[in-house]
Amino acid sequence: MNTLRNIMRPYKRQYVLSLMLTSLFVLNSGCATTKVGGQPALSKADPYEHINRKTFVFNDTVDDYVAEPIASAYKAITPQFVQTGVFNFYNNLKNVNVIINDALQAKFKQSAQDTGRFVINSSLGLLGLVDVAKDVGLEQNEEDFDQTLAVWGIPRGPYLVIPLLGPTTVRGIPGAVFDTAANPSSYVGAPVQLLSLLNARANAEGALKFIDEAALDPYVFTRESFLQWRHSLATDGKSAASTDFLDELDELGEFDAENVGLIADQASKGGFGNYIQKFERAAQSFSGAAQSFDETAKTFEDAGNKADKLQGDVRVK
Amino acid sequence: MGFNRIKLASVLIGFLFLTTIANAANQNPAPARQVVESFQNELIAVMKIGKSTDFSGRYNRLYDAVTQSHDLPKIARIVVGKEWEKLSESQQNQLVEVFSKLSVASYAHNFKDYAGESFDFDSEEETTRGGVVIHTRLKIPDEKDVKFDYMLKEQGDSWRIINIIANGVSDLALKRSEYTAVLQREGFDALITKINEKIDNYSKL
Repeated sequence: MNTLRNIMRPYKRQYVLSLMLTSLFVLNSGCATTKVGGQPALSKADPYEHINRKTFVFNDTVDDYVAEPIASAYKAITPQFVQTGVFNFYNNLKNVNVIINDALQAKFKQSAQDTGRFVINSSLGLLGLVDVAKDVGLEQNEEDFDQTLAVWGIPRGPYLVIPLLGPTTVRGIPGAVFDTAANPSSYVGAPVQLLSLLNARANAEGALKFIDEAALDPYVFTRESFLQWRHSLATDGKSAASTDFLDELDELGEFDAENVGLIADQASKGGFGNYIQKFERAAQSFSGAAQSFDETAKTFEDAGNKADKLQGDVRVK
Repeated sequence: MGFNRIKLASVLIGFLFLTTIANAANQNPAPARQVVESFQNELIAVMKIGKSTDFSGRYNRLYDAVTQSHDLPKIARIVVGKEWEKLSESQQNQLVEVFSKLSVASYAHNFKDYAGESFDFDSEEETTRGGVVIHTRLKIPDEKDVKFDYMLKEQGDSWRIINIIANGVSDLALKRSEYTAVLQREGFDALITKINEKIDNYSKL
């Protein structure tokens, strides 16, 4: 069951080095565009497949020979409770960014919940080492600046594989830069960032093993699951398209050549209509803001009560 | 005297039991939901005995559960997309056969540990063109729920699973991208070889 538990964790590697590497990448992509055309792209979402595949193989090799051995050693010598503590600590710091992006997406209630989460874990949870908030019912939310850009209607752009950092999209790059800037762990020394990377790799172990076992073509498997997973996060799992495409396939003819890119391009297909939809969604969020504030107040009250109770429990013990 | 009472009691209990079953049958739960739930129950049951049963034991037990709840021939056809037409009939049959084995094998490999997991039914939704989506979630103690949405189509007189979407990632879309990519890059024989390698790995792990 561990495998299943980890399926959704593969892409959580921290983008700590992204600021530095983005500049490197921008230079790279200039070359990439001129080289396109050597091989026909199979997926509309991935016009740079030719060069992406090479980077993928490079990353995979680095992972096999460097990251994996170090992460295994880390797992072997570190007790489980320390690993969990380290994971919780970085996860908690990430909440600063989550809270900002909640607000940027006009999810005020969620923003309040995540603030409560951050406050509880930073205090009662011993600077974030213990995830107390989960026990009072405040689940970790996944928000980042790439999702915010998606909500604002910025198109995703082509899929890219960045050296050492792995899968992203053109929209994901400014996203990663913003996320890095808004994460407190980016401003402490290199050892802390290394531990963060190490910990992220150790946590991705199960997912990477799952891909290894299940994928006929690991590159395509990684690309498709990454794009779908990101799309699902950006739409908060509400994308009707992903559940309904089969009917389209059935009716339009599964063998239609035009349809090859249908599924992979779900996220980007709507064009202008998609924009309107997104703006409508944003408008709806804003009109719901007043209501959100009421709920916010209540959430704080609830969280306060729960925290009081928790503190009481601790004292009793 | 004591014996008679026991007899009477068991008759009563038996009667109650029968009426409960009759009531359950009368309520007639939606067939699509039933297909998904009985499949999920079987999965959980196999997970519970995972420690004491080896791969082939789990494979045999899941074989009927998977093949009777999923429309594997149709899934196999969809995942190769327009390439299906280019395959000979014997190739098509071969593909359906190894694909079915792979599907059962991956369940037998991935669902072998039990730590209190359970499936919860969320809702049922009819799609625009006669399909049904059953929304469920896998509850894992101390972890976030994993959303499992099952897309079903009517096949003959029963409903069959065509696609599973786990936390927004569509299994069918994923496989379709992979299988068409392998077919176009490396051809049919390479695809079959790769599938057989995967089945082999699952049976050893």
